[in-house]
Amino acid sequence: MSAITKKRDWPTVLAAAWLIGLTILAFTADYLPFIRGYAESSPEGIGFSKGPFTSFLLGSDQLGRDVFARCIYGAQISLRIALFSIIIGTVVGGTLGMVAGFFGKASDRAISAFTDVMLAFPPIVIAILVTGRFDALRKNSEAFSWLSRTWSITFVLSILAIAPLARIVRAQTLSISQREFVLAARSLGARNGRVLVREILPNLVPAMVSVIFTGVAVLLIAEGGLAFLGYSIELPTPTWGRLIAENRNFIREAWWGTIMPCVMLFATVLSFNVLGDRIARRFDIREAAL
Amino acid sequence: MRYALQRLGQFILVFLVVTFLVMVITRIGSKDPARDLAGGLVAQEQVDEVRELYRLDEPFVVQYGNWIKNLVTLDFGYSYAQNQSVNDMMKQRLLPSFFIGIWAIFIGLLLAVPTAIYSAYRRDGAFDKTMSTTSFAFLSMPPIVIAVLLSFFIGVKLRWFPVDSNYVALWDNPWQHFRNFILPSFTLGLGLSAVWTRLLRADLINTLQSDFIMLARAKGMSPRRILWVHALRASALSLITSIAIQMGGLIGGAVVAEQFFAMPGIGDRLVFAIQQNDLLVVQAITALLAIVVVAVNLLVDLFYAVIDPRIRHARAIK
Repeated sequence: MSAITKKRDWPTVLAAAWLIGLTILAFTADYLPFIRGYAESSPEGIGFSKGPFTSFLLGSDQLGRDVFARCIYGAQISLRIALFSIIIGTVVGGTLGMVAGFFGKASDRAISAFTDVMLAFPPIVIAILVTGRFDALRKNSEAFSWLSRTWSITFVLSILAIAPLARIVRAQTLSISQREFVLAARSLGARNGRVLVREILPNLVPAMVSVIFTGVAVLLIAEGGLAFLGYSIELPTPTWGRLIAENRNFIREAWWGTIMPCVMLFATVLSFNVLGDRIARRFDIREAAL
Repeated sequence: MRYALQRLGQFILVFLVVTFLVMVITRIGSKDPARDLAGGLVAQEQVDEVRELYRLDEPFVVQYGNWIKNLVTLDFGYSYAQNQSVNDMMKQRLLPSFFIGIWAIFIGLLLAVPTAIYSAYRRDGAFDKTMSTTSFAFLSMPPIVIAVLLSFFIGVKLRWFPVDSNYVALWDNPWQHFRNFILPSFTLGLGLSAVWTRLLRADLINTLQSDFIMLARAKGMSPRRILWVHALRASALSLITSIAIQMGGLIGGAVVAEQFFAMPGIGDRLVFAIQQNDLLVVQAITALLAIVVVAVNLLVDLFYAVIDPRIRHARAIK
């Protein structure tokens, strides 16, 4: 009996609870009375740089804005950008990886060369370079006036997500296509397309989900770094990175303005990593393939 | 030797592709690259002069060829925005970044190696479990978060080290050098040590099960000697590979750390140059970073081949 009862895996439960709670707060922020409005400016204009657990849950910044509310709005933007980027990255990177792993030969060589080049270079350098140029593109050309910072950051982060995803999907595809059930499908006369979609793709899902979780964590870090270096989305929308960067100058008087978004960012990245790690372990995915 | 040449060729190719892509990227959305190079708001004659000098009216490939030709003679051009040749700029900015990187790697190894050895030695013990959780937490800590926490607790609260760093050369004043570099280097070193602790621990646990460890133990060798000399040497290979793999992340982290601690390094300069459209500086710095990443990888590969003859011969037979 005792052999069957499982010990509850508290880190996973906590991580999932944190992410679900944060997502719900972030996407209902506009309808919640204790968040909405507080992010803009202080009610009654009294709460300048108040400490946490006073009338403000996590304190207020030097303009009297509620740090908790700003963090939740920051979560909204940061999570949205990270999720959009990872979706684009997964679709493009996954396709490239499957093609490289399944068809091999020239396609494999070309795609592997591409991922090698991408992985050889510091991601944050690519990110600031491309975002900086997109700013110039928007300024100088009518056709790209829609290219707001939100779009260019999402786009840049998707590019960064492509290479690692392509690489791991390629490795997984290589090993899956050697398995017997693929051979069985082939001997029944299945064509390449069917083998790829019906046999290989479903078996890639666990690995991809695991990489998506850790990938979101990496993208959140990258977004924070970009925002810190001055490449965040348009003012005054807060993101975690911008909150950290902006309030850093007031760290002596009001430490909560910087530390709280740091804690949020850390807790979120940690949660994504914990979940990614658990999924990888559950399905026995080798880290070495990264 | 043939293997070495093969690898060298591959890396030169990667380098050329990277620098070419960077050049393409720096031209995105630029109305007139010559004007950007000349520093924005200047007279038309000067813009034309720059255009002539860097052959900006010729096809792209010619421009790139010209740039590569100058690169070979180590002439990176002139930054009109800074009124300084790019070479001089590099000379000033290189050492701070170099020291941050070296100290970060040093701190990373200093923390990781003993922790990993003891964790592997007393596997699944209390220390191992604590360190495994701790290192997992540090893996999830972005460089900015580490930087904020370090600067707040150690710089602002305890006042041990300055929050805004200055560059002091090691040979001028070792104590001031140490004071100024410790926070930025720790910011990067902590993350690295987390990666290396986990990697080395896993590798050591594997190594400790090999026959040669059993032989050493049977001969009555002390556990300390077995761990620090025999097992560590065998596991060092994967650690060295990891140093090469981490180079990209390390440089990226250094850009953030330099900005955060106001260290006048090359990453700090790069961010500024991108904002200013100072294209030649951007190209020069990114090329340099690419060279560093590529060269470290090349060295590690060659080092591998020197240490492990199997790799050398496997490639030669192919």
